[in-house]
Amino acid sequence: MLSLLLILLTSLFFMGIVVRTKSITSGRKGPGLLQPMKDVIRLWKKGAVYSRTTSFIFQLAPTVYFASIIMAILVVPFGQNKGFISFDGDFIFFAYVLALGKFFSIIGALDTGSSFEGMGASREALYSLLAEPAFFILMGSFALYTGHTSFYDIFTSLHFGSYISYALGVLATFVLIMIAMVENSRMPIDDPKTHLELTMVHEVMILDNSGFDLGLILYGTQLKFAMYGALIANFFIGSSLYYFSIPLFLFVQLAFAVLVGILESFSARFRMGNNPQFIFTLTSISILIFFGVLLIMGKFI
Amino acid sequence: MDSFWLILSSVIMTGTGAFVIPLLQSKMRARLHFVFVLLVALSTSIPAINVLFGAPIAFTLPGSVFYGEIPIRIDALSAWFMLIINLTCVNGALYGIGYMKPYQSERAKIAMHWVLFLIFQTSMLWVCMLQHSLAFLIAWEVMSLSSMFLVIFEHEKKETLRAGINYLVQMHIGVAFLTVAFLWVYFIEGSFDFAAIADFFKTNFNGWLFLLFFMGFGIKAGFIPLHSWLPHAHPAAPSHISGVMSGVIVKLGIYGIVRVALFLQSDWLIIGESLLVVSILTGVFGILNAAVHRDFKKMLAYCTIENIGIIGLGIGLYLIGVGFDNSLLMILGLSSALLHTLNHSLFKSLLFFSAGSIYQQTHTRDMEKLGGLISQMPQTAILFLIGSIAIGGLPPLNGFISEFILYKGFLNGIHTIGLTHATLMMLSLSGLVFIGGLSLLTFTRTFGTVFLGNPRQPLHHVPEEVSLSMRLPQYVIVAIMLSIGLFPEVYFSIVFRLIQSVLPAHQLIDVESFVASTKSIGLIGRYSFLFLMLIGGFYLLRNYLIRQRPIERKETWGCGYVAPNVQMQYTGKSFSKSLGKLMSFFVREKKKYIEIESVEIFPQTRNHSSHYVDFFEDTLLEKFTSGMLRFLNYFQFVQNGKVQMYIVYGLFFILLVFFGTLFNLL
Repeated sequence: MLSLLLILLTSLFFMGIVVRTKSITSGRKGPGLLQPMKDVIRLWKKGAVYSRTTSFIFQLAPTVYFASIIMAILVVPFGQNKGFISFDGDFIFFAYVLALGKFFSIIGALDTGSSFEGMGASREALYSLLAEPAFFILMGSFALYTGHTSFYDIFTSLHFGSYISYALGVLATFVLIMIAMVENSRMPIDDPKTHLELTMVHEVMILDNSGFDLGLILYGTQLKFAMYGALIANFFIGSSLYYFSIPLFLFVQLAFAVLVGILESFSARFRMGNNPQFIFTLTSISILIFFGVLLIMGKFI
Repeated sequence: MDSFWLILSSVIMTGTGAFVIPLLQSKMRARLHFVFVLLVALSTSIPAINVLFGAPIAFTLPGSVFYGEIPIRIDALSAWFMLIINLTCVNGALYGIGYMKPYQSERAKIAMHWVLFLIFQTSMLWVCMLQHSLAFLIAWEVMSLSSMFLVIFEHEKKETLRAGINYLVQMHIGVAFLTVAFLWVYFIEGSFDFAAIADFFKTNFNGWLFLLFFMGFGIKAGFIPLHSWLPHAHPAAPSHISGVMSGVIVKLGIYGIVRVALFLQSDWLIIGESLLVVSILTGVFGILNAAVHRDFKKMLAYCTIENIGIIGLGIGLYLIGVGFDNSLLMILGLSSALLHTLNHSLFKSLLFFSAGSIYQQTHTRDMEKLGGLISQMPQTAILFLIGSIAIGGLPPLNGFISEFILYKGFLNGIHTIGLTHATLMMLSLSGLVFIGGLSLLTFTRTFGTVFLGNPRQPLHHVPEEVSLSMRLPQYVIVAIMLSIGLFPEVYFSIVFRLIQSVLPAHQLIDVESFVASTKSIGLIGRYSFLFLMLIGGFYLLRNYLIRQRPIERKETWGCGYVAPNVQMQYTGKSFSKSLGKLMSFFVREKKKYIEIESVEIFPQTRNHSSHYVDFFEDTLLEKFTSGMLRFLNYFQFVQNGKVQMYIVYGLFFILLVFFGTLFNLL
């Protein structure tokens, strides 16, 4: 349960830090750290406008999306503390629960009958399907390395011994950060600040959402970021004690948020046609990790 | 002997049904037929359930000198498939009552249809029970033929007839392989009993005979490149038939493969590896094609191919487990294959039934002509949505359970065995993930295009919700699916018992190591329930919070464009276009159009059409069959339509036989 509380806590600031970093790098002062959260809370108080085309799916979808993220967070452990849900193979459950949320957010977008939102939905489906193998090969490699198949067991028994394993840790962090960027539709794949509907992915899917539902979706994105940050942090925490692990967790989240901000400030979005190639690259890096693990295990003889 | 009479009564009831059904009024036929299907199902399910929870049943029918006694054995494996057959057939028959109502005026056709359905069900049941090669082949053939006639119900349509003949030919190629395989066993072992197959495997190389069986059963199951009948036959058949065919007839191919795989005595590894590779390719190929086709029943047919791939992965994993003497892999592999067989028969028949409801109301199978059906057919929409979630393998429904067991098997396989197999397992794992992602894209596309948005074209009449008798079987299926999703350990323990009872004696299972994984499978059910509660709770909370907020209804935001029309909606084709482009080496698009010439100042109206073709059918089979056709054309002079010539042929043949025997040549 500790992980849930910590993730909820960091999600309040996460987007604020990203926005602040972007402001500073572009020479502006920027809004306060809590501004994105204040926006969400204001949306939660508002009424809504629904399209005449939409059905109950459109109103149900944001809730399912949000619930799936909460459910996924329950699986994430924190150092020595197991997540609320922990069993052998829980990372499969994690990925599939998130997929259900994605399923609903896609059909929610299609429910409006808008060509723009259909376009975004199509891209979202394609990119996330391409990113899935990377995550599974990564987790499968660590399952091979540690001999366990749950998040908690993998993270607590992960120990960095040789030079190769450090290299693997770096690669794994890179892959996880990039998966987080793809899943949240952020920079190299998608630019949330673009003003042309034709070039958006996630933003264009939620064009018709308003009021409470939009607030849920926006807060869901922040939670998702904090969730991936927690996964990355777990790589470094291992089984250390609280007075060490909690500050480290917060530091990793901060570094992750700043990194996202810097990445978004200094890189441009890829052309849509190049995105699949880029995402495939993630899979190949995961395969590299797999071969590294095989090397460490001495299976190459 | 009770169960013997029960089983025999299934044949008697089928015979009675075949006589009684045509005598009745059109209106009553479907209902009476349902009663007969229910009776046959009961008479065979009772022994099957007894077997599943008790000991296998075996008895022999007296035979002649030539083919020997005919053994009938029901072990747990047969029982499992028999129960699946009965469940799907009963649902199909119930759905069929409503679905066939518009055809009631065609009296003869309808009577034929229901009689054939009854024969079809009984023959499938007997395929699972007979363990005598020749008797098995006869039951198999009756099953193929009756299903072929069921497919061509609308035989006045040229396309349907073609699909039927295609199916007939391909099934007979399959039968040819099976016959050769059974004869081979007979010539070596001198027995038609299935037990002889095990004897054969003890003394000879296992690979070739297994390959023959795999080709024979694989055509039925739809492994690539033997799959090409599925995408033609399923759309052509009436929907309750496609539901039953996709739900169970395809599974009988799986039954055959599992049955033969259990007889194997050596060479498990090479067979398992090959099966694993073929299955990944089958899965990816099937779902990729499903993602691009616009005929929604064809889409479902390709999706069946994908699921056969997933089942095949389980069987491959089992064989590799046997090869390494790893009981965990064996159980995880086989149980995922068997559970997925059940799961797929449930959600695929659900999807075909709801697709049938759409077809009945709109008279089109082209999803690009539909849209916005959720407002007119809300219940069908929800049923289709539930089916889509289940088939995508998403929690909290049943598809996730069998895929999860398979994932566990692969993860276990990765770190128990050497480099080659670890890599193969990783490949299979990522293949399965890829399949999962693709099916998410496929089903969001289909559901979104058919049910959501606005109607894309005016329909002949306004669609409305289908009758209760058509919805009822679908609700039954949903209830069973939910029960598997929420209480997987119950079903898993049944399958576990089954596996323990059918595994050959030398493949001992280490039960102790297995208790832990059973526990985590039970946990999934609890957490899926929690997930449902979470969704429900959040939704109630949301509705409570926004109960007094102002709500407006406006047009969909058109990005400032003021005159949008329904034709501008995103189509299913464009939804999967970028995927199609990415995988264009696998899913080929064929376009037909005439380019505008630069000198053409006032261009004429012209057409542009594009469709996706099946890679294997187009490149492999088409070339082969067209080459064969060209070659056989040289012998056309033999069939010249002159009666005189035909008499000469007959005479020639008689003379040949006469002289042949005279000079001891024959």
